[in-house]
Amino acid sequence: MFRFLAQTLINGINIGALYGLAALGLSLIFGVMRILNVAHGEFLMIGGFIGFWLFHLYGVDPFMGLPMVGFFLFIMGIAFYKLIFSRLTRFHEEVKLKNSLLIAFGLYLIFPQIAMLLWTPDERAISPKYSGEAIDLFGLRFGYVPFWGLCVAVVTFLALYLFLNKTYFGKSLRGTAESWKAAKLSGINIERTFMITFGVGISIAGIAGVLIGMVQELTPIMGMPWTLKALIVVVLAGMGSIIGAFIAGLILGIVEAVSAIFMGPYTIAVGLFIFLIILMLRPQGLFGKT
Amino acid sequence: MLAQWKKSFIFGGFLALLVLLPLLTSRSDILTWTCLTFQYILLSQSWNILGGYAGQVNLGHAAFFGIGALTTRYVWLWGFPLPLALLLGSLIATVFAFFIGLPAFRLRGIYFVIGTLVLAEILRIIVDTRFPVASVLPAETLLTYSLVSRYYLSLLGAILAVFTVYFISHSRLGLGMRAIREDEDAAKTSGVGILQYKLSAFLISTFLAGFAGGIFAYYMVAVQPGYVFSPAWTFDSVVIVFVGGIGTIVGPIFGSVFFVILKQWLSLHLPGGLHLAVFGILFILVVLYIPDGFIELVRRFTKG
Amino acid sequence: MLKIEDLSKSFGGLMAIHHLSLDVYEGEIVGLIGPNGSGKTTLFNLISGLLKPNSGRIVLSDRDITYLSSHNICRMGIARTFQLTKPFLQMTALENVMVGKAFGCTSTWNMKKVEEEAKRILEFIGLDEKSMWKASSLGVVERKRLELARALATKPKLLLLDEMMAGLTPTEVEESIMLVKKIRDSGVTLIVVEHVMEAILGLSDRIIVLNAGEKIAEGSPQDVVHNPKVIEAYLGEEAFTDFGS
Repeated sequence: MFRFLAQTLINGINIGALYGLAALGLSLIFGVMRILNVAHGEFLMIGGFIGFWLFHLYGVDPFMGLPMVGFFLFIMGIAFYKLIFSRLTRFHEEVKLKNSLLIAFGLYLIFPQIAMLLWTPDERAISPKYSGEAIDLFGLRFGYVPFWGLCVAVVTFLALYLFLNKTYFGKSLRGTAESWKAAKLSGINIERTFMITFGVGISIAGIAGVLIGMVQELTPIMGMPWTLKALIVVVLAGMGSIIGAFIAGLILGIVEAVSAIFMGPYTIAVGLFIFLIILMLRPQGLFGKT
Repeated sequence: MLAQWKKSFIFGGFLALLVLLPLLTSRSDILTWTCLTFQYILLSQSWNILGGYAGQVNLGHAAFFGIGALTTRYVWLWGFPLPLALLLGSLIATVFAFFIGLPAFRLRGIYFVIGTLVLAEILRIIVDTRFPVASVLPAETLLTYSLVSRYYLSLLGAILAVFTVYFISHSRLGLGMRAIREDEDAAKTSGVGILQYKLSAFLISTFLAGFAGGIFAYYMVAVQPGYVFSPAWTFDSVVIVFVGGIGTIVGPIFGSVFFVILKQWLSLHLPGGLHLAVFGILFILVVLYIPDGFIELVRRFTKG
Repeated sequence: MLKIEDLSKSFGGLMAIHHLSLDVYEGEIVGLIGPNGSGKTTLFNLISGLLKPNSGRIVLSDRDITYLSSHNICRMGIARTFQLTKPFLQMTALENVMVGKAFGCTSTWNMKKVEEEAKRILEFIGLDEKSMWKASSLGVVERKRLELARALATKPKLLLLDEMMAGLTPTEVEESIMLVKKIRDSGVTLIVVEHVMEAILGLSDRIIVLNAGEKIAEGSPQDVVHNPKVIEAYLGEEAFTDFGS
């Protein structure tokens, strides 16, 4: 019994780390640019598929391929920002935010269709030779892939944390998140900051996508369910909290894993409950500022 | 622009034509497409009320369409009279809206967006899981299936929607909603109760969306329960409103006509769901370059 | 009429309003001045309910309005304008004023009456020719007047004006001063925040000076101008030293 619960806990942590990673990019983009990227999951899906094709066609080990995927999606993020979102700057602030939301919504409709056209609706999975391997400790199973996925997630969080707090550019990013006006007055190039933030956020989504593709199936329509998870984690954590996003992701993962025991396929509703409870009792999230 | 009486005359004449249409033609394709256009007018106007007038973006509109559709379908198929089923569908959708709106509108706008999106997607997944099998009309009902009755019901829905929007836009309700859309703080300090008005717009919007769902449920011979929660319904409403003219009375009407025609044309020439991608790109272009919609474009063109 | 009792408001570590107490009496025009960042707009935000204080009370005619929501505060008779105007851009000037009339103290559903009254107020302010113009096509000065019209439409007992005269030509300042006095004569009490010194000294019955969230002086315009504390607070601020002599 204890072993069963402990295993559930481990599974929850493994998937929770991925939830946190999926939410990280979204939180970053929203925190700095106030754009709620409801197409975030779509980029996650793209990243996953790129990781898949790198592995399937060129034999690139998915973990080794992460930097490539990250880089490719960084470029993609910048391109999307430059081509589409940056054209909104001429609008009044609130209109701009509303319109970016709508545009992201449009992307959410477009991506799966293109993906289905390119890659068929079939499910794929990234399964290198070591996929099923695990270490057995105390009768508990620590999957090789989920474990390394967890490590990558932690490293990514730490890297982003250091970037935001120790580098000049990272600090200017945080400054922009605090106040666009103040940032502009301090001489920060806001447009360039936005562009890079978007690129970074998207690239993190792509990395998450590859890791997800190693433990779950990749399909062209996986985008929205993951966007949803990311949204719930962001609300649970509170807007603007990086470390909070990681912890909230873990919490969601664990709560879901435990709920799955008695809710089965309806576990998805747990997310909705958590969201509503946070909304009613603590809207600033667990770690957000009021 | 045209004199008021000329406008009313054209409007009345057109309306008469629509009412008489089933008597003038028995071609089921014309009736079907017009019928669908009416349903889209109803659905898009419902989104227009909250999104266009009150300025609150509801990305989970499909949730309320779906709730109305499923409620109406099952209540009706269990033997209750259709009007009751339709009313219940609309009301239950509104109840859901109330429970999401009340907490969400007290907070920053972003919570409403996330909340409605979350609701729609989760309902879709739950319904898909619980009711994976399509609901098909029983044989007796199929035998008496009349497109004409559905045509008139849809026309009624469209008229109801247009009149609701007309009423709102000329009343204090519309004034308050638009003030909120333009500047919440200024609206607040001018006496507009933000929570009240956002909630009112939301409840009216979802009531009509539920009604649209109910009509759809009555209209469709076979429907997979999860389908009525598909985000495409939200998207279609949003595209129609934006292309036609957000926050206007006639915008969604023209938008719906344009949409149905274009969709029909695209589905003939493009495989599968690709027309969604085309509409997606069109939508993004409209948001970027013609955010006020084509109606406004035409208006500006004819003035200048 | 309005009592501010020991009001405090902080943002993070910054004390914007620090144990502030002041009174406003019916029928007077109170000038509120102070160097930039002294808390004037914050005070307006607190009074109009856009912000809630950390401690203290705001009392209007013996009713505690500290924690009332903004729209209720408006219904109780307090209206305000904003330093950076906040017009309803996509609505016409007439509709802007109609919002004030329809939702203010004389809240009503009769759209005809609302429209008529709004037209009357626009005439009073001098914007009636542009009543059908969208607020977005109005110039800055016109927007300020529109904002004033909208505030007046709510039939306030107390009107808070936040830097109405910024950017106006001397003639326009003169006109505005006369307008504000007319408003007072129609029975409205006013608190006016201004940086344009000639305007505020000519307009106010009484002046209250804020610095760093605290009241540092209060009294007639003449007294305040020669108050050493006030001069010190403004040291270096051109607007004041130019006039002080």
